[in-house]
Amino acid sequence: MTSIHRSAQGVIFGTEVLAQMRALAPSLVFASLLTDDGFVVAQTRADTVDSGRFGSMASSVQALSEAVARELHLGTSSYVVIAAQGGHVLQQRVPGHPVILAALFDDAETLGKALSTSRRGAETLAAQFDTLHPVPETIGSTE
Amino acid sequence: MEHVILFAGPMGAGKSTAIATLSDIEVVTTEAANTERHVVDKATTTVALDYGEITIGDEEKVRLYGVPGQSRFDFMWTILRERARGLVLLVNNDDVDPIASMLERLAPFEDLLRRRAVVIGVTRSDVAPRPSTADYAAAVSAAHPGVVLPILTVDARDLTRMRTLLLTLVSLVEAATELETDEVTA
Repeated sequence: MTSIHRSAQGVIFGTEVLAQMRALAPSLVFASLLTDDGFVVAQTRADTVDSGRFGSMASSVQALSEAVARELHLGTSSYVVIAAQGGHVLQQRVPGHPVILAALFDDAETLGKALSTSRRGAETLAAQFDTLHPVPETIGSTE
Repeated sequence: MEHVILFAGPMGAGKSTAIATLSDIEVVTTEAANTERHVVDKATTTVALDYGEITIGDEEKVRLYGVPGQSRFDFMWTILRERARGLVLLVNNDDVDPIASMLERLAPFEDLLRRRAVVIGVTRSDVAPRPSTADYAAAVSAAHPGVVLPILTVDARDLTRMRTLLLTLVSLVEAATELETDEVTA
């Protein structure tokens, strides 16, 4: 069976939800929906950062955070937050699906609002992805 | 004494397996589902690092770090090589062009190469007997005149073979450290 992140409808859902996040939070500089191994499924404002690089780094950071939580017996890692002077990077898994939502907000945004926006986006994506079984047509899949 | 040793090489060369074989502790892994199965047909791939430890003798601890094979994760190579004392470069002999792959993967670790703190392990030579270790040695000498590296065929699952490779590297690292110390004190 084809993975959700390779389905045409999955990409459409991802693109729509990222656009909604952008509308909800003008401080969103860049957002990307990624496979576990860092490939871009969908993104918004792709001209603002090197999206391939961002995806690879987000994938590594996600995996490292989950490894730390695992090693310390902390349970499942809910969020990854990188709070810097110029803004915040927030990452979280889309519940129930092998994809990561990673978003960069500028320093005009509060961390709480950024968390809320990301969580809402991830929950919306999860609900939409849940409707995709069985998976329809594929995009360039070799699986 | 403690050593930090990196395991690098292309995706599918056996880096994670080698660390799991060698490590005295449960390995810390950062595996993710591999969506490039048309490139290398394996279910998961390392996206940040593998971490293991092995104690040699009574008190010589070696920290083993495996880096992702794909160049899109090269920022992890940069982060980890800054603390590395030596490099185990694994190359799978059934790669399309394993010698080119070896040379490409050596390039980011020029500092370690200059210190001669590098060993090369050729995996999957049971599947693809060519090129030979002599072919690899000739390629290293051609690309880096004057550099001679230990090059062994290994099975990443074979503890004895992997220990031989690692101990060879540790002896090189210690020799390089002694040489540098002598130069400073001279």
